[in-house]
Formats: sequence, structure tokens, C-alpha cells
Amino acid sequence: MSEVAPAQPRNRKRFQLRNAGPKLVATLLALALAAIFLGPMYLVVITSIKSNKDFLAGPFAWPSAVTFEPYRQVWQELHFGDLLGNSLLYASTGAALAVLLALVPAFALSRFDLPGKTVLFGMFLTGLMLPQQTVLIPLYATLRTLHLLDSKIGLIIVHGIYGMPAQILILRGFMTAIPSEIEKAARIEGATDFEVFWKVILPLSVPGIIVGYSLNFIAIWKEFVFGLVFLNHETNFPVTVGMLKLNSDRYISVFNLPAAGLVISQIPIIILFVLCYRKLTSGNFVGAVKG
Amino acid sequence: MATSRKQRESRSFLVFARNHVFVTIFGVVVPVLLFLALIGYPIAYTIYLSFFQWNGMAPVKKFVGLANYAYLTGDKYFHVALLNNLKWLVVSLVFPVTLGFLIAYAMRLRVVYFPSFLRTAVFFPVTMSLIAVGLMFLLILNPIFGAFDTLLRSVGLGFLVREWFGDFHIALYTLAVISGWAFTGLPMIFYFAGLGDVPKETIDAARIEGAGHFRMMTGVALPQLRPVTAVVVMLTLFESLKAFDLVAVLTKGAPFGTTNVLGYLVYLESFWNSRFGYGATLSVAILVVSVALAALLLSTVLKGAFHE
Repeated sequence: MSEVAPAQPRNRKRFQLRNAGPKLVATLLALALAAIFLGPMYLVVITSIKSNKDFLAGPFAWPSAVTFEPYRQVWQELHFGDLLGNSLLYASTGAALAVLLALVPAFALSRFDLPGKTVLFGMFLTGLMLPQQTVLIPLYATLRTLHLLDSKIGLIIVHGIYGMPAQILILRGFMTAIPSEIEKAARIEGATDFEVFWKVILPLSVPGIIVGYSLNFIAIWKEFVFGLVFLNHETNFPVTVGMLKLNSDRYISVFNLPAAGLVISQIPIIILFVLCYRKLTSGNFVGAVKG
Repeated sequence: MATSRKQRESRSFLVFARNHVFVTIFGVVVPVLLFLALIGYPIAYTIYLSFFQWNGMAPVKKFVGLANYAYLTGDKYFHVALLNNLKWLVVSLVFPVTLGFLIAYAMRLRVVYFPSFLRTAVFFPVTMSLIAVGLMFLLILNPIFGAFDTLLRSVGLGFLVREWFGDFHIALYTLAVISGWAFTGLPMIFYFAGLGDVPKETIDAARIEGAGHFRMMTGVALPQLRPVTAVVVMLTLFESLKAFDLVAVLTKGAPFGTTNVLGYLVYLESFWNSRFGYGATLSVAILVVSVALAALLLSTVLKGAFHE
């Protein structure tokens, strides 16, 4: 993308050749680094397809026979079908609610000279930085009063509203970048605020919505504290809370079971990651929080 | 003067509201009400509750004034947990933030081949839940069958092997480093985006002047990246102070409470010991420490960084 060109194009080749040696060394270092970040997942995957006998051959040994028995066993015993279903429900609807709530505020903050803009902006920023523990007890009490404790709908609402501030900031960043000429053209034709929002800004914000939605989806998928505190019945647990069981003597003594559970818990995120990793790792959502 | 400006602002807001009904209702009123109901009110209630003694069930809460705060100052568990959060923060600033910057620099300035492979690898753990990360390292750092100790022994570094979660000298650092491993991708992405905004001419000019990588980083990249650093440091600060998941899955505060962090203490005191008033006091402490540290950093090393 941003290939740094040398001062004179004629020197380009020599410049690159001169740098090939150090660059190769740096690349080897980078590969070692990549191994540190991907290695653990690789080890978990090979552990998950080993039989107990192969396990004793050491953590790095390739399995003599691939078995999917650990997956079957852990899927049944921990009811991974339910856990994944719940997490998918929380992540997909919670993120949708957050984006839905954030669209018009982002529109208001990005396309209007709104009086009191900085106050509003600061307020949402606070919501972003807030440690969850600070609100845990009152939220618990409020949900109990509303009979939304240990309820799926309750958790979805909490996730949606706590996701909203981040979504407002991300979408605001994307909406600010839309050229004002497009909006002006619509205004000249007599479009109302709603029509500008619905017909102009919303369609052009789709990339931002995808990024924001995916980030929030991942955040809710990873979330643990709210699920742990606000839910009691296993049938409502998301993957993160249900998985805790894997850290017990029953499972941790046999590595392939927790390993298989771990892989299962990560599969939906891997799919999402593969689908839109370019958008997620390009970092173009970063501008949103720079103020 | 201040009131007149406020009046002017509220009057201009009314004018705005009359002209832009749709934007005002769904863009301001609804989100602000929701925010106040489910985020603002709980914060206020936590502060209120920190002056009471309450077991979470009793209909009457007993007002105890500053007793919870007095208890807090003498609570050994609180001291240990606070210190642990600060250690966690230092590890996070040194390891994932620095490493994230170096990786982003190496990718942007094409110091390495295949930069996007490195980026994907480092970002991947960011997508994992810390519960999954914790379980993963529970297997890898297992004292008998773990891959890490096996690796150390096979390269002759067996003397480095420790009880990673059992030795109270290092258990907390084990947690902080694992958390850093899972976090590195975020600073990397932020710096990667930030470096993309550094004008190419600036980098070329420095290169023609013969600047090595060290001078390029300290003299060109970092000064240009101060706003990004401010965001990253704030993010790291708040992440470190609300650490919870890894402690919950890996050590539960053991050995002897030496890996307790404030976030876990809130949970223990409130939902296990049913001391909701004191739990609220600890929550307030997290908030105060977060805001104080943020203010300290923003008024010293990061002064003015947000406005550059």
C-alpha cells in the first residue's frame, strides 16, 4: 500500500537489493512472532484431535490417528449446541440493537451543527470507557425489579445499550467522511432530514455498519461478566460462561476435551473473521475514536 | 456569563429541535434517555450504595456513612488488588503496546515481507474470548503435560520452568502477560492506521537524511502518533483496571489472594460475600483510580495529545 519509494526511481532496484538481507532477517523474526500468536491455537487444534494414548506422546507430536471423539463427547456433555445458539442469539441481536440505536445519533453528531454536541459526545465516550464492574450491582437490581434477571431478553437489552456508545463513535466516523455535496444535492431537491438519512446517508454508511456490527458481534461473543452475573440457568448461558466447566478436574485432566471445546467456541468467530478480516484489520474504524 | 451562554445554548437547542424533529427524537432524546436509564443511573446508584451496608436481599439498606471507605483504606485485599492492577497496567504498557507499535511500524515501513500475514496472526487472539484464552494457556502452561515447559526443557532452558499459576511471585505476571498476548492486536491496528496517516514525504525526508530505524521511530513516527498513543494508552489503562475474566477462569485470586484484582474483588464481595455496599465502594474505587490515572497521564506525558 504505502511502499516507501527511494528518492530517485533509478536507484530503486539497488536500494531494494541492499535491503533484502536485513529484510529477510526481519521477516524471520516476524515469522517467529507470528508463531507465538498462532502457535497456541495450532497446539490446541492438534490436541483436540488426539486420542488419550497419543496425548502421552507429548504436546508437539502429530496424532497417530485423527479422532473426532473429543468433539462429540464435549459437544454432548456441555450442550454446546445450546451454548452456541445462545451466544449467536446474544451477539447477533445485541449488536443489531446497538447499531440500530446508534444510527440516528451518529447521523445527528456527524451531519448537523448540533448545540451541545461536545456534551453528548463526551457522554458517549464515558460510556465506552466505563468499567463494567461499576454498574454491575445496580444493573443486577434493576433487572431483578423488571423481572429480566436470568432472561435472554434482559441480556440482549443490556448488550444492545452498552454497545451503543461505541457504535455511535464508529458510525459517526464513517458518516463524517461522506462528502457534503451529496447531501446538499438532496437538500436542494427538498429532501427532509429523514429522507436525507434514509436515502442518502444510510446507504452510504453500509461499510461502516458492517465494521461496527462485526466488532460489536465479536465483543458480545467474548463478553463474560454480564453473562456470569445476570444468568442462572444453564439453558441461558452463552459459550463463555458455559465453557467455564471445562476448567474442572473432570475435563482438565484429559486435554483433548477442553481443547475440542475451545475450538468449537471459536469456530463462528473464525468464520466471521475470514468473511470480513480485511475490514476489521485495516483499522479504518480507528479514526472514529480520534475525536 | 456562564449562565447566559448556557441559556443561549439551550435556546438554540430548542430552535434546532423544532426544525429537526426526527433527528432530535431519535438522535438525541432516545439515546440519552437509554444511556441515563441503563448506564448513568447505575453509576450514580453505585456511588449512593457505597455509603450503605446491604446484603442484596434485605428491603432496608443501612446507612453507614463513610464506614465502607474507612474499611477500604485498611483492607489488605484491596491493597494487594490495587497494586496488582497497577502491575498489570505496567506489563500491558510495556509488552502489548510496545510490541504492537513495533509490528505496525515494521508493516508500514515494509521492514518485513508478508506484512498482512503477520497482521492477521497478531490480530487473531483479539477475536478470542478471554475465557477461551485462559483455558488455552491452562493447557499450554500445565506443569506436567504443557507445551511451554516441554519446549523450555528441550532447548536446555529447563531451569526457567516454574509453577506459572501456583508460584505467588509470578502468578500475577503470568496472567498479565497472557492478557497482553491477547491484547497486542489492538494497539497494532491503531498504530497501523495511525502510521498510514503520517505523510510519506516526512518519512522519505528522514530516510534521505540517513535516519536509522531507531531515529525514524523516536524522531518521526512517535511524535506524529501522539494522538494515537493517547487513545491506545487510555484503552490499555481501562482494560487493565477492569481485568476480570482471566482471573476468574485461571486462578480465582489464588494463591492466597495474590492474584486478586479490583474487578474480581467487586464480584467476590458483592455476589459471594453478599456485601453489596462494600462491593459498590470497591467499584467506586475502580472508577476513581481509572479517572485519576487518566487525568494524570493526560496532563503530563500525554499533555495536549488529543488536540493535536
